[in-house]
Amino acid sequence: MATIDLTDLHLTFTVLQQKRVSLKEYLVRGLFRRSSAVAVHALAGLSLSVRDGDRLGIIGHNGAGKSTLLKLIAGIYPPTQGELAVTGSICSLFDISLGFEHEASGWDNIRFRAYLQGESPSSLKGKIDAIAEFTERGDFLNLPVRHYSAGMMMRLAFAIATSIEPEILLVDEVLAVGDLAFQQKAQARMKELMSSARIMVLVAHDLSTIRAMCNRVIWMEHGVARMDGDPDEVVNAYVASVAHQDAPHVGARAA
Amino acid sequence: MIHHLTAVWKFRHFLLALVKLDLRLRYRRSILGVGWSLLNPIAMTVVFAVVFSSLLGGGDIPRYVPHLLIGMAIWNFIRECVITGCKSLVMSETYIRQSPLPYGIYPLRTVLGQAIHSSIALGVALIVTFAYKPETSPLALLYAVPGLVLMFITAWAAATLFSFLNVYFQDTSHLLEVGAQIVFFLSPIMYYPQNLSDKGLQWMMDVNPVHLFLELTRGPITTGAPPSAQLLLIGAGFTALMLALAAGTTAWLQKRVIFHL
Repeated sequence: MATIDLTDLHLTFTVLQQKRVSLKEYLVRGLFRRSSAVAVHALAGLSLSVRDGDRLGIIGHNGAGKSTLLKLIAGIYPPTQGELAVTGSICSLFDISLGFEHEASGWDNIRFRAYLQGESPSSLKGKIDAIAEFTERGDFLNLPVRHYSAGMMMRLAFAIATSIEPEILLVDEVLAVGDLAFQQKAQARMKELMSSARIMVLVAHDLSTIRAMCNRVIWMEHGVARMDGDPDEVVNAYVASVAHQDAPHVGARAA
Repeated sequence: MIHHLTAVWKFRHFLLALVKLDLRLRYRRSILGVGWSLLNPIAMTVVFAVVFSSLLGGGDIPRYVPHLLIGMAIWNFIRECVITGCKSLVMSETYIRQSPLPYGIYPLRTVLGQAIHSSIALGVALIVTFAYKPETSPLALLYAVPGLVLMFITAWAAATLFSFLNVYFQDTSHLLEVGAQIVFFLSPIMYYPQNLSDKGLQWMMDVNPVHLFLELTRGPITTGAPPSAQLLLIGAGFTALMLALAAGTTAWLQKRVIFHL
């Protein structure tokens, strides 16, 4: 059984105004003065419980904490406060074009990524050909990845990321992968994954996708869930609120 | 910490595949491949043996050359682990942003690769040692093993510490390079420990961890005697201290470092 449980979860992080200071500078000045750090309260007391069979959609405006929540569930961001309990193997489909070893061949990169996802050499043996086949460019795989086009890299990343059968599937925005033919293939693979995974969490701005794929929707605002429930109900309320916010602007423009 | 180590073990395939890649790239870059890493210390030996054996070694080549070669192999390992290792977290940002791996795995990638690379240089040094001093007993190698193990653990801990520091302060690697240059001349690598102790500077070596590990590894090989219990104890104590510092730093910063990458 796969579960995701969040109890009164907070995530605060501080960002420095300048990216990084030098140690010399810090020792000379920083000891006497606190650096100007800005605290970002990305999640503010979010409680959430997701069970087998849930197809959870997350909507909300930019900066509401949607992607942060996804990264938190994936274990990449640690919670500042509150409890986070996730059981089940996770497949996360975001930032997948990151993390290639550019000097290594496509075959080697399949291995690195698969091991990163917890495969072992023996379990990978049965899958590696299927991954290569899915990219449709088997002959490219002998070349170093630095020669690949962006589309080819996405194809490879997508093929590897979706090669495991996850219990929890995390998706940030529906992926636009490669050319038209490959996109159809990728979408078919996504549907397959979505139906086989026990839990899916999907972040998207495309509301029709949310309506079509989810059986539960959360509307996030300023790091908390403003509404949680039936897709149509939540999406309609969200659309209504956006329309309401926009209305004064429309009025102003007309006047 | 145990939890951290089991997590590293869980991702050993990932780690080993990347170490293998690093070594392959390293040796492919030069035309001679692995041969280059053999040729480099050999060429160094010839130069040093000719120039410095009379200057710093008192003209005793069979004593000086093994001393120098083993010292250089050990020193290069420590130096590279610290200087390259300190960049390991910044360089692995893309992996860190994708998967919740234990942070210790990234410095270990550098240290493990460096250990394999350095053992080639050490192998050459040992061959030369046996050529100059055929009476050296193979048992002397065994005496050096505890020192080598302690040095490996300390290098991993140091690389971990400095890699966290380098995330927050970008000039860490530059400062380490400057520091390494100073430590190189303060350590009895090109000269004998007696050269310093004769001048009343024994304390300078006593506080130098590089000297500690040289004594634990080079000492047994060149003298044929096992390291003293006291020296081993200091080595183990220093390693434990570094390990505790690295584990503490990891525990302290592992929840924050991602926001600074």
